[in-house]
Amino acid sequence: MGLLKVTFDMPSVNFYFQVHQPFRLGTCSYLNRNKRGVHNYFDADKNGQIMRKVAEKCYLPTNQLILKLIKRYNGAFRAAYSITGVAIEQMERYAPQALDSFKALADTGCVEFIGETYYHSLCSLYDEAEFRDQVQLHRELMQEVFGQSPRVFRNTELIYQDHIGLMAQQLGFKAIIAEGCDDVLGWRNPNFVYTVPNSEMRLLLKNYRLSDDIAFRFSNRAWSDWPLTADKFAKWVHDISGNGEILNLFMDYETFGEHQWESTGIFQFLEHLPEAVLRHPDWQFSTPSQVIEAYAPKADIHFHRLTSWADVNRDISAWRGNRMQHSALEKIYAVSAQMRKSGDEYALDIWRKLQTSDHFYYMCTKWFADGDVHAYFSPYESPYDAFINYMNAFKDFSEYFPEKRIARIERSVQVLSTPTAPSKRDGRLPPESVREEVRLPTAPH
Amino acid sequence: MKWGKTLSFFAGRKIADQERLCSVDSSTGGSRVFRFRPEFRLHHTSGLRTDKFKMKVVMLGWEYPPQISGGLGTACEGLTRSLARHEVDIRFVVPYLYGSENAPHMTLVDPTPTGLAFNHFESIEKTSESKRIRTERIEAFLSPYWTPEVFERKLTALHELRGTKELRRRFARSVPKEIQVCRRNGNKYGQNIFEEVGLYTSNVLATIGSDRSFDLIHAHDWMTYPAGVALAELTGKPLVVHVHSLEYDRSGANVNHEIDHIERMGTSRATKVIAVSHYTKSLLQQHHGLNPEKIAVVHNGVYPREATRSYQRSTDWPEKSVLFLGRVTFQKGPDYFVEAAARVIEHVPGVVFIMAGSGDMLDRMVQRTKELEIQDNFWFPGFVRGAELERMLSLADLYVMPSVSEPFGISALEAISFDTPAIISRQSGVSEVLDHALKVDFWDVDRLADLIINGLLHQELREDMISMAREEVKRLRWDAAADKTFSVYSGLAH
Repeated sequence: MGLLKVTFDMPSVNFYFQVHQPFRLGTCSYLNRNKRGVHNYFDADKNGQIMRKVAEKCYLPTNQLILKLIKRYNGAFRAAYSITGVAIEQMERYAPQALDSFKALADTGCVEFIGETYYHSLCSLYDEAEFRDQVQLHRELMQEVFGQSPRVFRNTELIYQDHIGLMAQQLGFKAIIAEGCDDVLGWRNPNFVYTVPNSEMRLLLKNYRLSDDIAFRFSNRAWSDWPLTADKFAKWVHDISGNGEILNLFMDYETFGEHQWESTGIFQFLEHLPEAVLRHPDWQFSTPSQVIEAYAPKADIHFHRLTSWADVNRDISAWRGNRMQHSALEKIYAVSAQMRKSGDEYALDIWRKLQTSDHFYYMCTKWFADGDVHAYFSPYESPYDAFINYMNAFKDFSEYFPEKRIARIERSVQVLSTPTAPSKRDGRLPPESVREEVRLPTAPH
Repeated sequence: MKWGKTLSFFAGRKIADQERLCSVDSSTGGSRVFRFRPEFRLHHTSGLRTDKFKMKVVMLGWEYPPQISGGLGTACEGLTRSLARHEVDIRFVVPYLYGSENAPHMTLVDPTPTGLAFNHFESIEKTSESKRIRTERIEAFLSPYWTPEVFERKLTALHELRGTKELRRRFARSVPKEIQVCRRNGNKYGQNIFEEVGLYTSNVLATIGSDRSFDLIHAHDWMTYPAGVALAELTGKPLVVHVHSLEYDRSGANVNHEIDHIERMGTSRATKVIAVSHYTKSLLQQHHGLNPEKIAVVHNGVYPREATRSYQRSTDWPEKSVLFLGRVTFQKGPDYFVEAAARVIEHVPGVVFIMAGSGDMLDRMVQRTKELEIQDNFWFPGFVRGAELERMLSLADLYVMPSVSEPFGISALEAISFDTPAIISRQSGVSEVLDHALKVDFWDVDRLADLIINGLLHQELREDMISMAREEVKRLRWDAAADKTFSVYSGLAH
């Protein structure tokens, strides 16, 4: 099918969907640390269960629908995805058919894959070298799984400030995605291409009003515009004509079927949206790379603060707002130099999985203003339990790796003489089932 | 009507009349503490301000601050203070008034026939706290010792007495029988408890039995249930039974069957039952087979603490400390505290565990710490109160409430109001309303130890918990409890 050329004098709708699932921790106890042969911190049962459920409710049906739409409109409908490395790993383990369906989308040539950190981490805030490595790991993964090398970057949770745009530029990206926060935009609107100050790096800003109409408000009966139909939404899109060139609709992919259940009519909405949007002869669909080629930037925009796509304030307080979160983040990044020098791929992978932003999100205590969202997504009874469990896991990890590990392995090797080889992708692990059988970490290099 | 009369005292009317009626304890600054002589009160019917009150409630309680042995009196104070804002006129009957009570929001009633005379002993009482008070008492008309059948027969007799003059003669003119009662050692749950309950029941009937000017009866905990049930039978008024705790909570498998029976009788004969938590509601369903539709859950509240004295850690206070505070009895789970402590001490040497309180398990707990060789990490200060209590609550790093069965557990809220984060058992009512606390099943000693260790090691955890919990406790107001109670009343009054 190939990429249709986007016409620069026509405005376009620019869909990007975020696909991510963290490796959730199992129960880690302070008293029982160091008592198991394998330091398997992650809850394979729970993670498998959740991945299979989300695949069934969201990934598989939505991918099927998107594929159908791409074919129906012969490439005039298209979308972009950002899929984290940890999500892909879990799809490989628990829902390979979901990964296949993403590959089928990649094969149409109408889907663009966006770059981010492999581990969906907050390393951009703490360690630039680590950030580069994680972005590189993700890029290699995209190449390997989808045969694409991402040209556009999104940082974890759209966490952004000017210097993050410049870091991404140094890594070869042409554009970065950020939240179109009101306090940053001022009188401007997010419906144009902008640049990071003093650079050629393009800035694509989320139109949060229209994005959130779909992602958050779609099924809200208290909302004055409920029920939201494709025609109504397309009317709002068409209203942008003359006051914008692009409409960036960025959202979690789980919006379809998971956050908004199938019964809300979200799939019918998505199915009819392309038709409704394309009814206006000026409007088209495009992907981020097409957008930055088709439209000239209008201005540069300086972000005076760290922004994200979360909560009312669009700041990072959901991950780093309270003392527990600060403390846990400082601890995990305090061992950065040591871990990166160790060359221990097994330990490095665990350490990086402990960096996934969700662990810190579960520790969020600002329950009163934006409350329900945080409560809904947490596997813990309270943010304090999340913190305690995380600190117990980290305590175990930091005692075990790397100092004790060599001695431990030497002892283990005498008992079990068949260590498995590392998987074909360096730095990643064989499936957990294999590790559990062997009960032995891979040997250090 | 008659109540309006008592109010007239404050409007400065008919003072001479009032002086015959009651005496006011000047030591409480003129608050409305009355000693009633029922035969007088019944005669006064001139109406004053009667329409001010939406509802008139006879509340049967067992204690009132400052004379309290547990949380019941505090809860009654909180609830009635907020209920008064709903323009509920409350007559709160306790077995006995001490004169130091302060309840300007309602009428406190001492139903003893010697109530007036008793006032003269006030000065003696104050000078010698532990002095045995000599008092007169009447024969108990209703005794909880009786079998259910006898009790039913007595109730039927009461029913027949409704509104007759015979009734007044029966109670008010009972022949006093002189006996010695010990009431001043805080030991209200002594061996005389059933006699006390029977006496209270008789006194309540004598004082209020002929009155019909109230809308409903509200009885707090089993000690008042016989009086509540009898009064309801006599007057035909609806009865609300308020369950602050159950014998099952207090004693587990070793329940006192008489108390258990009174609780079952009281809750089953009540028009409506108020439980202090969903936890207690489910116990009432399981243990007493009570119809859940009859039970309303009204969580306790807490009063915002005034800025208290700030306590500084002096050299005698340990660097890390964990506080258990409460009766050292089966219900409070002190044994789980000790077992968890043993696990914590391995990982956090130097931590001091404070077990403040007394009770029948205290000796065993002291013994157990010796067996575990952790006695050096334990401190048993006994029963503490006042400033010492406040000091402990504010200086401890963590407050632990490992209760086996806790209908509510207001002490966890108190610890929080002293900026001490709480670890509470899931088998408690307070865990239903408190998000910003660590929760654990009381039997899960390893998990409890894990939480204590993390609480001690991570100041950031304690700080985040307490800053959130402080806000949360502010929302757990008595006003909310009073709103719910009032709607229970409204459902019954008409």
